[in-house]
Amino acid sequence: MTATATLPVAHVADHDILPSRPNRGIRYVRETALLIGRGLRMIPRVPERLSDVTIQPIMFTLLFLYVFGSAIHIPGVRYQDYLLPGLIGQSMAFGVIGAGVATATDFSSGVIDRFRSLPVTRMSVISAQVVGQVIEQILGILIVAGVGLALGWRPHMGVGGTVELMLLVLLGLFAFTWLGVLAGMLIRNSDAMQGIGFAVVLPLSFLAGTFVPISGMHAIPRAIGEWDPLSALVAGVRQVAQGIHSHGSWQLDHPVVAMIGWCLLITAVCVPLALRRFRTATSN
Amino acid sequence: MTNSAPAVVAKGLTKRFGEFTAVDAFDLSIDAGTVVSLLGPNGAGKTTIVRMLATLLTPTSGSATVCGHDIVSEADAVRGKISLTGQFAALEDNLTARENLLLMARLRGYGKGTAGRVVDRLIDRFDVGEFRDKLVKSLSGGQRRRVDLAASLVTQPELLVLDEPTTGLDPRSRQVVWATIRELVQEGVTLLLTTQYLEEADALADSIHLIDHGRSVAAGTPSELKARIGDQRVDVVAVDSAGVDTLAALLGARFDITVTPARRMVSIPAPDEIVDLTAVADLVRTSGVAVDEVALRRPTLDDAFMALTGQPAETQAADDSMAGVAP
Ligand SMILES: Nc1ncnc2c1ncn2[C@@H]1O[C@H](COP(=O)(O)OP(=O)(O)OP(=O)(O)O)[C@@H](O)[C@H]1O
Ligand SMILES: [Mg+2]
Repeated sequence: MTATATLPVAHVADHDILPSRPNRGIRYVRETALLIGRGLRMIPRVPERLSDVTIQPIMFTLLFLYVFGSAIHIPGVRYQDYLLPGLIGQSMAFGVIGAGVATATDFSSGVIDRFRSLPVTRMSVISAQVVGQVIEQILGILIVAGVGLALGWRPHMGVGGTVELMLLVLLGLFAFTWLGVLAGMLIRNSDAMQGIGFAVVLPLSFLAGTFVPISGMHAIPRAIGEWDPLSALVAGVRQVAQGIHSHGSWQLDHPVVAMIGWCLLITAVCVPLALRRFRTATSN
Repeated sequence: MTNSAPAVVAKGLTKRFGEFTAVDAFDLSIDAGTVVSLLGPNGAGKTTIVRMLATLLTPTSGSATVCGHDIVSEADAVRGKISLTGQFAALEDNLTARENLLLMARLRGYGKGTAGRVVDRLIDRFDVGEFRDKLVKSLSGGQRRRVDLAASLVTQPELLVLDEPTTGLDPRSRQVVWATIRELVQEGVTLLLTTQYLEEADALADSIHLIDHGRSVAAGTPSELKARIGDQRVDVVAVDSAGVDTLAALLGARFDITVTPARRMVSIPAPDEIVDLTAVADLVRTSGVAVDEVALRRPTLDDAFMALTGQPAETQAADDSMAGVAP
């Protein structure tokens, strides 16, 4: 070890003594919690972010239930019961955009650099980003579910099904948030992230059988929809929440397994890439 | 306690981005309790040097220690000793000034109550009180800078690094920042300061490194450098070249003048500033020669480069296009 040099310390603000540093594990938990708090405190102050998790899902629900829904008839099922699981699946995928925009904003503003120049564990910065985003998206999904229930959505699942659905939603949010964090670090510009995010996720979510069955689509969109990962989310939630089974491609026949598979795949690819990117982002 | 160990020692510090060498074998030594300024034009490599010292960039080659700790192998220890205020205010736009400071204090390790006390003292000291509960995004550039500086001082850093602390500020805010920096210096903080303004380095630093293209082109105390650059002067610009000849004859009899015929300009050293300016202005008025301008000038960064390297500073307009490209 290098001998510590004794330097004159400036009496800048007649500071209180810093408590001695706890071990890494405790610091990691403490710093992650502080940084999550920072992210959550900002939600109500950024109108776009607030509306992303509140107004936008409510709007989608109302729009499809009362405007388009009146013209959509799906045999054997009330449209509320068809639509709500779809919206929940779609919300998970939209998490990519939320997480991406938040990450891009942080990386372009220099705030992340400031955190990195502090003696904080570096994992805490990225963990806080992911956990904070997941919490934000859960909020959005609870609002969608709440509005749906108020407007007549009746899920058909027991206690086991409810627990299964919650675990699936958490897994989906976790995977798609990591994807968003990685995209945000690569794109680094929040407007571009927003634009690219919508251009990719919105069409995929329409093709995923969120609002109308894939089986009734024209050949080309049907082919895309059958293999769209978002279809697995939508069909998976629908199967667990309503017991509605989808058919077509392998993933539509086994949506829950397919959804878990997609999520694990996305996580396995994105987590190491995002961590590496984070470590080297500014220390190229 | 008196001390001996320097706060910063850098040897052959080099940073390449691909083929491009941003910092080239840079040496630096900063004694504890002193103020060192890196002075150079856009793209000189100031920020890159500072970011390496603050452990945000890994050097391509060379080494450096901060307060005795290696910037690569003991990065975490370095981060505990150093405090960096980056070139662009690194605050959370959607938190208030006070919330930003609290977050910094908590991340540095203070408990909730202590953090509140530390922050409130900083708010007093940096005159943030007036806008402490405003969101940072609604603050002016000068106000942000003050919060940004305060954020760097939630603990007592052994080395404070300020990257262009006054660029983009109006003259009044600049004075406020200077006054704050002077106070910190009086309290004994060791400071590394980058700037594009010769005047700023002169006003604040004990020693100056002039940097261009990632290399140190000259170094010394402000008075050593000024002795080589020349001090302030009065420039008289005549309307036509006949006027220049008349002025040269007239002023040359009294002062040690330099004539630049191409700019129709006669320059007179002005160590006594306003006294010299008035004397020159009186002579010009009584001579009746028509002039465009009579002005007191301080040497600029350009003058410094001219005097010390014999070439104007290059501001790397071509290279700037790469600056925003993510690697
Ligand atoms: N991440 C990067 N990738 C590629 N080139 C870079 C990168 N960062 C800096 N550079 C280049 O390195 C050179 C030095 O940049 P630096 O930011 O250190 O200059 P500076 O002296 O701080 O300039 P300014 O006064 O404009 O802040 C510039 O030419 C810049 O384009
Ligand atoms: Mg710079």
